[in-house]
Amino acid sequence: MSKYMFLFRGGEPGIDPMTDPAGFGAYMQTWQTWMENIAKSGKYLGGDPLEPTGVTVSGKAMKVTDGPFIEGKEIVGGYVILEAASIEEAVELSKGCPIYTHDGVVEIRPVQHVDF
Amino acid sequence: MVGALTRLFGTQHLELAEDVVQETLLKAMRDWPYHGVPDNPAAWLHRVAKNLAIDQLRRRSRGVELLKENAALLRSEWTLSTTVTEAFSGPVIADDALRMLFACCHPTIPPEQQVALALRTLCGFSVPEIARAFVTNEESINKRLYRAREAFRAIGKVELPMESELAVRLKPVLATIYLLFNEGYNSTAHSDHIREDLVEEALRLCDMLNRNAHTERPETHALMALMLFHAARSEARVDASGSIVLLQDQDRTRWDRSLIALAEQHLHRSAVGAELTTYHVEAAIASVHAQAPTFADTDWARIVGFYDRLLALAPSPIVRLNRAIALGRLGGAEAGLMALDLIEGLEKLHLYHAARGDLLRELGRSEEARAAFGNALKLVRSPVERELLVRKQGGVER
Repeated sequence: MSKYMFLFRGGEPGIDPMTDPAGFGAYMQTWQTWMENIAKSGKYLGGDPLEPTGVTVSGKAMKVTDGPFIEGKEIVGGYVILEAASIEEAVELSKGCPIYTHDGVVEIRPVQHVDF
Repeated sequence: MVGALTRLFGTQHLELAEDVVQETLLKAMRDWPYHGVPDNPAAWLHRVAKNLAIDQLRRRSRGVELLKENAALLRSEWTLSTTVTEAFSGPVIADDALRMLFACCHPTIPPEQQVALALRTLCGFSVPEIARAFVTNEESINKRLYRAREAFRAIGKVELPMESELAVRLKPVLATIYLLFNEGYNSTAHSDHIREDLVEEALRLCDMLNRNAHTERPETHALMALMLFHAARSEARVDASGSIVLLQDQDRTRWDRSLIALAEQHLHRSAVGAELTTYHVEAAIASVHAQAPTFADTDWARIVGFYDRLLALAPSPIVRLNRAIALGRLGGAEAGLMALDLIEGLEKLHLYHAARGDLLRELGRSEEARAAFGNALKLVRSPVERELLVRKQGGVER
């Protein structure tokens, strides 16, 4: 078993939780269903959605710049860490993710083993 | 609600679940007097409890060892809110109460602690209320709850037993419910509302078991029938001054016919499967009494027959005592007395001496009858029963 990180980009459902709480609840339920299934097999390790705001700190000078950093569609909207036997299994696990129905992108990255 | 939260957090966090519920109720007590009781109070309570639980989890979950299955879902903002919301949804919360009942009645927790724990977590009784229900002090209830919680914590996961274990795990659950019922029913301090609550809670918990396809079994119906037959008679069991009215003197028009009809339905539904439990037989005995138009018309032969079956299932001196009393009705006082004299091990029980007194009086052996009632009086603890014995002793002809 290896660890994989899923990075979510784009795929905004266009539902405002303030004006349409029921619709937003139903949308979050689709995420719930997907993650619950992964959690049931003990493979779900964690993750969170991210606010579209923030800052970047960069370089030797540790220069602080206000976000958003890049084009809207490119912003990482959240991440999940899970366990899978292979990258193929990780891809399979990602297929239940509701982000695809909103034309979003999941970037799947194996966690690097650092040995020395 | 405590059940729902305990299932989420795991049994080691019973206090956390209780804190959330207590805070919810406090909020209701603060808010409702000002804003009025909400249209759907249960939904309001669930919503507030849900939000408080989410707050607690956000603030504390890093330091808290959560139940493995839920930990990742509760620690992730993707799923935290939805997971807690799901736990509070209608059908799930009813199942949670059942799961909690099974957890409270886990075989690793001693019976008297099970009852206290169930009353605290499932019925929402306060410690002073539980102490009153058991006629003991708060300190001993606190001790009992403390020990029960220690054992409860070790259980880990709150869940309904698997089909294969159900028959075994259901037994202590039913025993606890029956114990709860008897605490309420046999304390004859009728004016004490806590006692009536115990009867109602026992009926509610058993009803809950009967509403779940998994736990609805013949013995669950049998226990329900048994308790309903007794509950139907509760109004007629005491007179206006709170004194006991014996079965033979009860005004049978005051028996609750609708409860008896319901009891008969459950008894009917219990009559499937191969296992005959003591609840079945006790309910059958209660049914014979309920069907008799008068005490004299009681079918004593059937009752003695049922006591014989009860003895075969669970031999105990108490059952033999009751059988001897029934035999005294069927075959005469002499036969009853002979049966009583064969029983050993009841010398310390006032009911045994009282039964002897009754039969001796019927045989005209006044001197011995008075002595028997005297022995009973030395042993009796309940003031209402004492009063009855004094009445009986005084009624023996000189």
